[in-house]
Amino acid sequence: MAGVISCDITVAKIELGDVTPHNIKQLKKLNTVVFPVSYNDKFYKDVLEAGELAKLAYYNDIVVGAVCCRIDTTENSRRLYIMTLGCLYPYRRLGIGTLMVEHVLKYVEQDGNFDSIFLHVQVNNEGAIDFYKKFGFEIVETKEHYYKRIEPADAHVLQKTIREPQTTPLVNGSVPHAKTNGLEVD
Amino acid sequence: MPPSNPLPPKENALFKRILRCYEHKQYKNGLKFAKQILSNPKFAEHGETLAMKGLTLNCLGRKEEAYDYVRRGLRNDLKSPVCWHVYGLLQRSDKKYDEAIKCYRNALKWEKENIQILRDLSLLQIQMRDLEGYKDTRYQLFMLRPTQRASWIGFAMSYHLLGDYEMANSILDAFRTNQMKGPYDYEHSELLLYQNMVLAESGQYERALQHLQKFQSQILDKLSIKETSGEYYLKLRRFKEAEAVYEDLLKRNPENLSKAEDIEAFFDVYKKEYPKAIAPRRLQLNEAHDPLVFEKLVDQYLRQGLHKGVPPLFVDLRTLYKDQSKADTIEKLILQYIENLKKHDRFSSDTEEDKSPASALLWAYYFAAQHFDHKKDTDRALQYIDAAIEHTPTLIELFIVKGKIYKHAGDPVEAYKLLEEAQAMDTADRYVNSKCARYMLRAGHLKRAEEMCAKFTREGVPATENLNEMQCMWFQTEAAAAYQRLQQWGEALKKAHEVDRHFSEIMEDQFDFHSYCMRKMTLRSYVGLLRLEDVLRSHPFYFRCARVAIQVYLRLYTHPLQDVPQTTEPDTG
Repeated sequence: MAGVISCDITVAKIELGDVTPHNIKQLKKLNTVVFPVSYNDKFYKDVLEAGELAKLAYYNDIVVGAVCCRIDTTENSRRLYIMTLGCLYPYRRLGIGTLMVEHVLKYVEQDGNFDSIFLHVQVNNEGAIDFYKKFGFEIVETKEHYYKRIEPADAHVLQKTIREPQTTPLVNGSVPHAKTNGLEVD
Repeated sequence: MPPSNPLPPKENALFKRILRCYEHKQYKNGLKFAKQILSNPKFAEHGETLAMKGLTLNCLGRKEEAYDYVRRGLRNDLKSPVCWHVYGLLQRSDKKYDEAIKCYRNALKWEKENIQILRDLSLLQIQMRDLEGYKDTRYQLFMLRPTQRASWIGFAMSYHLLGDYEMANSILDAFRTNQMKGPYDYEHSELLLYQNMVLAESGQYERALQHLQKFQSQILDKLSIKETSGEYYLKLRRFKEAEAVYEDLLKRNPENLSKAEDIEAFFDVYKKEYPKAIAPRRLQLNEAHDPLVFEKLVDQYLRQGLHKGVPPLFVDLRTLYKDQSKADTIEKLILQYIENLKKHDRFSSDTEEDKSPASALLWAYYFAAQHFDHKKDTDRALQYIDAAIEHTPTLIELFIVKGKIYKHAGDPVEAYKLLEEAQAMDTADRYVNSKCARYMLRAGHLKRAEEMCAKFTREGVPATENLNEMQCMWFQTEAAAAYQRLQQWGEALKKAHEVDRHFSEIMEDQFDFHSYCMRKMTLRSYVGLLRLEDVLRSHPFYFRCARVAIQVYLRLYTHPLQDVPQTTEPDTG
């Protein structure tokens, strides 16, 4: 009898859901507590148009995580840029981040036309770096003073190559400006 | 009985066509035929034609002319049952039921056996609860049409409503044996259950039980058979048999508390057979009086709820708080859980135990906040709800409870702001939307509350109009009270009267059921409806609005208005 009950309720339900105009406030709340930087209105406006590239993660029907990406076509390549991917502190190490990364990988695979996936990570965020390495991401570059108001201000660029570049390799120096990532810079 | 001023055949034919047009709602044509009769100078003052013309005009919304014509017709032919009947119908359409009854009685004076008038009269009598009059009329209808089903049913019901159960039962018995021929359909089944209801209401449970058993093969509503027989067994103190019936019922629906409430005997069996059913576990908590037993049971129950994340867990258990020692036990346990969950992700300090889900601590905080709010310990309630919000700031329920804590502490403004925040987190949730609007009303923000409601009311219509049309009384009662607090007497009265009108409308709506239910044989529900309407205005919505209206009228009497009051909303920044 006890067995029936425990197996029924210990397995938590984890699933992804859409971001809609109705629940976008929950995404904002989540980002506010998960990330040390704040995002501007345009970021949230774009997220609403992003379809499968922006998802909320639910743990037993509670929003505990979110992933927001956009497609980046600078530097002569088509790349998926993970703008944010995060989970509330008490719900970490439960497979929620993995579910979101897997969602992104699946998206990229089904699309079939991406060269790579990349993102920025604060240089001291070892947990995140280890996490992404599990999925085949590598540090390809380090940008000094990437962040404006947090310490350390440097960021690693983590990248996972999907297919080898057909044209010239990445041009050095063409750093995406922080503003284009939706970070508040004023 | 001939009218006092008979028409020659040609005009008589025209008159019959007016009647037909009226029945078929061809009012324009009806007026045309009336004109053909009345334009002949010989019949310009023909009473019945004038009356029918008036009745037809009434259906076209020309009420004043209608009254003129009907009255003129009646004056010209005071002995015509048609004229009186028409006058009655006109009054009835104006909801002047007392007047209408008088008219029908006058009509019957000149034509005692007119079925149509008797039927119309009986409807008004039951609407007005003239039960004696209703019985007499139903008796006459019964004598005139002894072969019609409705005659029997109405006749029996008139006795039932007067409390003469024996007579009602014998009429139903006679009807069943003489008139009902198969097949045993739904209507037959309902009739049997109605008869059973009459027997039970007479207090003869033994007889009612026998009746139920005798006819059970003909009754289609099997659930009703079980439920009522269980009830009778309990009334007759035949517990063994009651138990068997309730066991059967629980097999049908293990979560139906109302059935299980009376039976404690087989909790354990019940729990074993339905390990996932919540109802038996919850019931046991009511019955457990030994503190140790209670603690063990409530411990299991709480853990299960927190584990799964059952938001209304506190509301579910709140009734146990009547017993102080039970409340204390719950407090002790919940604080223990919080400590242990914080330290080792488990409900207890036993490391053998499975880890709890990450949300268990959240729900424990949430429960504790409500617990201390219930104890009026605002500080601790806020402390726990803030801990919950810190833990999971995306859970809407937390902001609702935090608002509730402020409301209970007497700060309606902070309360509504928190509800506004909760609402913004899921703007598709109508529950939170309504709750938020209600809190705004409590804080005196009528405009904002209307705008909040407008997110869910029909587009293109002002929200208040739509809310009134939908008889949205929680809004209107709260708005009446809010306007009263703001000393906007006129607006407060307006809302109170809107609610009063809803109640009048519900009384009016009853009218259609007098004939409909008889025809459809839904007699048990019909009697239920009559009894509901009898006490309708004891409803809390009505009570609250009536109190507002009375207080405002008294205030206006003692302090007559001098100037037009200013419209103001409190400035809360």
